[in-house]
Amino acid sequence: MNILDIAVRLSWRLLSSTKIDVDIKVGYTSDLLSDVMGNAPAESVFITIQAHKNTVAVASLAGLSAILLCSNRQAPQDMIAAADQEGIPIYQTEENQFWASYHLGKLLNLH
Amino acid sequence: MNLSEVVAALGCQVLAGNSSLTQNVENVCACDLMSDVLVVEKDNLLLVTSLTTEQVVRTADIVGAHGILISNGKKPLEKTVQLAHQLNLPLLSTKLNTFEVCVELGKLLKK
Amino acid sequence: MTNFTLDSSPSVVLELTLRLKIRDVMTTELILAEKKDSLRHIQQLMKHNRITGVPIVEGKRLVGMVSVDDIIQALDGGYIDDPCDHHMSRQLIVLEDDMPLSLGISFFEKYHFGRFPVLNKDNELVGIVTSRDILTSLLMEMNKEMEHLEEKLAPQKEVPPECWSREFTLHKFDFEHAGSASGTIKKEIKDKGLDPKNLRRIAVASYEMEMNLIVHSLGGTLKVEHTPERTILEATDVGPGIEDVDKAMTEGWSTANDWIRSLGFGAGMGLPNIKRVSDEFFIQSQVGKGTLVRSIIYHPPEKEVTHEHS
Repeated sequence: MNILDIAVRLSWRLLSSTKIDVDIKVGYTSDLLSDVMGNAPAESVFITIQAHKNTVAVASLAGLSAILLCSNRQAPQDMIAAADQEGIPIYQTEENQFWASYHLGKLLNLH
Repeated sequence: MNLSEVVAALGCQVLAGNSSLTQNVENVCACDLMSDVLVVEKDNLLLVTSLTTEQVVRTADIVGAHGILISNGKKPLEKTVQLAHQLNLPLLSTKLNTFEVCVELGKLLKK
Repeated sequence: MTNFTLDSSPSVVLELTLRLKIRDVMTTELILAEKKDSLRHIQQLMKHNRITGVPIVEGKRLVGMVSVDDIIQALDGGYIDDPCDHHMSRQLIVLEDDMPLSLGISFFEKYHFGRFPVLNKDNELVGIVTSRDILTSLLMEMNKEMEHLEEKLAPQKEVPPECWSREFTLHKFDFEHAGSASGTIKKEIKDKGLDPKNLRRIAVASYEMEMNLIVHSLGGTLKVEHTPERTILEATDVGPGIEDVDKAMTEGWSTANDWIRSLGFGAGMGLPNIKRVSDEFFIQSQVGKGTLVRSIIYHPPEKEVTHEHS
């Protein structure tokens, strides 16, 4: 499903300036950047509370399409700047990682 | 639902705390940052993470979680399993990644 | 290749891989070639310098790479005298010089190349790193960093049974024992029959204090003094001291490095968490001297149960 549609349906807020419409197939939930480097699938939303610049670097290297910060975590300025440079949108949700993952999975019909 | 239902639904391995699987699960925390887990004040909690260190068991014990589910097919370290045994804290593991676990658990909780 | 995961390594190795940057381990004396150079010339370079990969550059810009495998194929295919331009690898995976070593190691795991060229912020070639470079640097650093850890427990004072006090000595980066002090505190106080909510507050406060001492300080002590009326927790360390206490008390503000984050800590919740669960909270710190954090949790007296007589 298109990420712009997902964001509307699940009430995600866009924190960065990149508004691209990528197709999302699945989510990947982790707060351990080394784990994401090794295991995350491409064309996915990176679901995490790790709100800092390294998250963007890892997302870019692993080919993830977007970042979702949970529990209303704010992204610091340098993280947003890095994301804009890489063309990776950062979204924000008030839900925690568990509910954000479940609702995304349900929307993408993954259950 | 209780922990044995989680074990059955996700096909988990039970590494410790076999005698405490009747405990209830009403809330799930899917987070790898232990200091954020400490902020969670929910009861009947199941902690889902791919971290395998002793800190996971200590944190779960401190917040009074009913069980820990290690995701991503990670094998907890020997010391971690021993500590869980000592504290009689159910320690489960599954091959599914955290995102998949959340989707399945969300389904079960919503029933 | 064996399945080596960084997160199951001893903490000293982990700390090094996150503290060291690629620029700390890379080779900077580079043997380079240009597009017009023949593969035979490059083979000679490899032979004389005992290297297995030669970056191809235009000025300071990296344009390709020739490896030993490419040479073998050239010898086999009979085109060893061709300019390397036609046969070099152009799709290159590179590392940045200010990446932490841990990230570089994941690249080796993921891509199975023997070496990676290293670029600086201006995309100039500044070095090359092989798995041997990483090993050598780690071994050298580990030799430099030998730390002796002792665990000392202060003897228990003579106290009435419903009271309990203990002093724990905690050491920097002692992750093997991290959490055991607060685990003990929780267990001892639990047996005194406390309101579970208060027990939880004590557990969270002591755990956060213990982790702060281990993760951020040069070492110190955690003291607990428990009576049925109140529990006092006090964490004292010998340094480094907090520069800006107000900032440290802000949720999300952290001075933790990447290694600590990879272990699941350093999200900046420690001090705010302690304050949140305490009835009284006190913090004092001086850079170069150390920090003191005190938390007091009160236990309200049990309500009297009145029996109604019918």
